[in-house]
Amino acid sequence: MDGHRLRIDPAGTPRATVLFVPPLFEEANRTRRTLVLAMRALAADGFAALLPDLPGQNESLTPLVEVDLARWIEALAAVAERIDGPLIVASLRGGCLVDHRAKAAAHWRLAPVAGASLLRTLLRARVSADREAGKSSSLENLQAEARNAPLLLAGNLLSPAMIAQLGGAEVQAVAPLRSLTLGSGDGALPGTPLWLRAEPGEDAAMAHAIAADIAAWGAACGIS
Amino acid sequence: MTEPVDTQLRALLADILGLGEERAAALTADSGLFGELPEFDSMAVATVLTEMEDRLGILIDDDEIDGEIFETYGHLLAFAERKVRGS
Repeated sequence: MDGHRLRIDPAGTPRATVLFVPPLFEEANRTRRTLVLAMRALAADGFAALLPDLPGQNESLTPLVEVDLARWIEALAAVAERIDGPLIVASLRGGCLVDHRAKAAAHWRLAPVAGASLLRTLLRARVSADREAGKSSSLENLQAEARNAPLLLAGNLLSPAMIAQLGGAEVQAVAPLRSLTLGSGDGALPGTPLWLRAEPGEDAAMAHAIAADIAAWGAACGIS
Repeated sequence: MTEPVDTQLRALLADILGLGEERAAALTADSGLFGELPEFDSMAVATVLTEMEDRLGILIDDDEIDGEIFETYGHLLAFAERKVRGS
């Protein structure tokens, strides 16, 4: 996976490694700071925390237009395979669409989203920007255009394969899995959907809740 | 029990624009959105539409969208209520 990744280690030998699969595209930037706070909290609790750059995302040297979801799924499986010791895969939003081939002792997902929903927002941002520029476009004609040529959506140059795969992508079954929504009560994590924020924010309380929930789920899956 | 569309729409704008509860609660029908709130850019417009679909259980055809809907909170609320009633 290009080798680009952020790794935070605990003081001694790690109890386990938590591999974070970040949200996709702009949502990754909006969430990154809070994820890194969660990684620090996990390291303080004895875990190694790893946040890789998917090929074409963040600091990866691979052009985004050259990748698709299949490549991301493979890349994550390869990262997981190289990790020694027990592994927890923790995915957020669109990251939950590409995490199922990574073999792990425990899977954890927060606010999984269908690829079609992510694609619709990207297409709409383009339509809205086109309208501001006095050009008229629609979801339909953009999608028709994307069948044969890459499309620039909110700053992301996406290949026809990426757009087709994203449009049909659903979360796949993994086990053992704890899947959370945002909110209160069982099966929910307190916090706000930072990944939607027009101006990135951060939430230390949410970061600590993420770290604590992952650690507890790891323990429930036999990671001591 | 489903919350009123007004409550859900305020929460949605607070989430996307990072308004905080107070600013979201203070929105009136005349409060300007697109062009008025600096956070409200084309990506935010797109996010608002997709979240409205997910949270209100509606489908928005982009032919229905014109600039006016995002001019004020009142216009956006009227549009959302019309869609919820119609679906």
